[in-house]
Amino acid sequence: MTDVLREVTDADLDAIEIGAAILGTGGGGNPYIGKLRCREELKKGNRIPVIPLAEVPDDWLVVSLGGIGAPVVGVEKIEEGEECLRALRAVEKEMDVKVDALISAEIGGANSMEPMLTAAQAGLPVIDGDGMGRAFPEMQMCTWSIYGHREAPAAMADEKGSIVVIRDTPDDVWLERIARAVVVTMGAAAGLATQPMRGDFVKRAAVPSTITQALNLGRAVLLANENNTDPVQTVIDQENGKLLMTGKIVDLERHLKGGFSVGHISLEGFGAFERDTGRIDLQNEFLVFRRNDIVEVCVPDLVVVLDSDTGLPITTEMLRYGQRIAVLGLPAHKLMRSAEALRVVGPAAFGYDDITFVPMEGT
Amino acid sequence: MMEQIKTITRADMADVALGGAFLGTGGGGDPYIGRLMAEQAIDANGPVTVLDVEDIDDDALIVPVAMMGAPTVMLEKLPRGDEAIAALRSLESVLGRKATAIFCIEAGGLNSTIPIAVAATAGLPIIDGDGMGRAFPELQMVSMTMFGVHACPMAMADEKGNALVLNTVDNLSTEKFARVITVEMGGAGMIALYPMTGAQAKEAILRGSLSLITNIGRIIGSEQKANRNPADKLATNLNGMRLFEGRVTDVDRRTEGGFARGQATIEGLDAYQGGSMTLRFQNEFLMAERQDGTPSAMTPDLICLLDLETGQPITTETMAYGYRVIVFGLPCDPKWRTDAGLALVGPRYFGYDIDYQTIENLNM
Repeated sequence: MTDVLREVTDADLDAIEIGAAILGTGGGGNPYIGKLRCREELKKGNRIPVIPLAEVPDDWLVVSLGGIGAPVVGVEKIEEGEECLRALRAVEKEMDVKVDALISAEIGGANSMEPMLTAAQAGLPVIDGDGMGRAFPEMQMCTWSIYGHREAPAAMADEKGSIVVIRDTPDDVWLERIARAVVVTMGAAAGLATQPMRGDFVKRAAVPSTITQALNLGRAVLLANENNTDPVQTVIDQENGKLLMTGKIVDLERHLKGGFSVGHISLEGFGAFERDTGRIDLQNEFLVFRRNDIVEVCVPDLVVVLDSDTGLPITTEMLRYGQRIAVLGLPAHKLMRSAEALRVVGPAAFGYDDITFVPMEGT
Repeated sequence: MMEQIKTITRADMADVALGGAFLGTGGGGDPYIGRLMAEQAIDANGPVTVLDVEDIDDDALIVPVAMMGAPTVMLEKLPRGDEAIAALRSLESVLGRKATAIFCIEAGGLNSTIPIAVAATAGLPIIDGDGMGRAFPELQMVSMTMFGVHACPMAMADEKGNALVLNTVDNLSTEKFARVITVEMGGAGMIALYPMTGAQAKEAILRGSLSLITNIGRIIGSEQKANRNPADKLATNLNGMRLFEGRVTDVDRRTEGGFARGQATIEGLDAYQGGSMTLRFQNEFLMAERQDGTPSAMTPDLICLLDLETGQPITTETMAYGYRVIVFGLPCDPKWRTDAGLALVGPRYFGYDIDYQTIENLNM
């Protein structure tokens, strides 16, 4: 275990990639390309300093930034590499300020890497924490927005050099709508930076230590594979998680709806779960796990799907008929479980009016 | 000879709106809402001074303002009233200086009147000119594009309080970004863009457009009062020509990619008995074809549809079966007839597999 993370080095990147993908709960995009870019920056001699959340000065200006778009596109239309940096500079110019540090809006998936990459390019530190503690599909589903920060002005940049500044919107749902329309025109992948937050707000609103969390998770999985111990159990131990089921995918329905990957998988249990059937609903991320048609874990708690042998995460677009998987439930951070948060990231926000969120420890 | 106008008063707005509808060439939206806005603003703030671009300092800041989106939406989703000013102020704050004068990006349709409302409200003069000399459907289709004036920074504002600033790599991508944002705003928004210095404007704009539409409006208005069809006088005064007269017998109109596209067939009446003409349009009329399929006029020359009795301009959206109409043609500004101009607004840009021929040559 790492004590306090002060800097991300080349040796950490592979582990963060795995940990971030696990926390992505099936979505959030692939961190692989971002990892390679971070590695390039480190090779050039640039650095990625990390500031623990508790040490952030109150009067610092912190910008939350990352990629926006369809994760599958991000893998095919590879970023030019400085999209987020240009978005950051546009926000600085719009507000006429200098930013002190960066933070990820979403530790799960590709956006774990983007702030580290921009930090290396801009010579800024990243803060050890994020706005979700996992991945979610829409921008207003992060703690900044939930706890009162307004995302506008925000800036978006594409790989061609175009910049769109969203100066004002009636609320963050409008910002998401407009940003979504703009990103489609940008070719479904762009960098986005939002209005700077003060350090004291970030300390209150960020899910703490999630870079460290991703790093430790990834290290544990790598180590278990090296030592031939059970990587799935390692993840459970590390995260206070619960093994929900080991099973085989016997049905898979997945289609694109409104820019999202929507569907479900059906599972037949094996091992200790031989008598059970399971079902996981997905909407970019895994949202709801049911055992024998009864809801057991749902958003904002994390439904994680791992390869049952290697413990490596399986994203929604990698799901295949016949795959043997382990389904884990991991508890969401308490900032994501408050009444304010549940309005935005609870089951009803994803169209499940009939499901009431119960913390997974209680089921 | 056209009379150069020096001010626009409340009494002029009816003529401006009528002339603007004529130069809309079937599109550009009904100038009516903008006329009401301008009349209200002139009542509150006084008439608008119209300046010849030659009388502007080279380092003056000229800002065009306009409505962007589907004109029909504007009639249903009425503007709150201060969106255009919000877009202007937003652009000014990006540029770090105040506008010296307002400019009209498009003399045809709704955007002939909205800038006058903005000029009156802001207490600024307006330049006698525009960027199209007519109406066109996309925002890169202005003479400024030909002279290297960038559409960005561009400010957008809507009635809900959304505000954006665009900085894109070229004017075509400005159009693409602004179009999807406009759709998200509910189909219409107000924009301020193409900020220019006086020196740039002297080179890049089409001149005299506000005088032109006011004069056209006066001709149509006075001929209507005298119970004469204005087409003859318009032809004499504007070098225009009557291309066809008849009855609309078929209209095929679809909404595609945010545009009204389609074609209309007109069967000849009186002197044109036995013949027919087909008009093709994308918001504006772009192509007029004779019965044998040969063109009679094509973009960027102006094809206007007028009511056979009153001479009132008819838009592509209101045109219907049974209308008795005059198809009226007008040569476009010579700037559009250059290679650069035709690349922006010539027949090939709109998907017609044909080289541009001037309306004068086609109707010798």
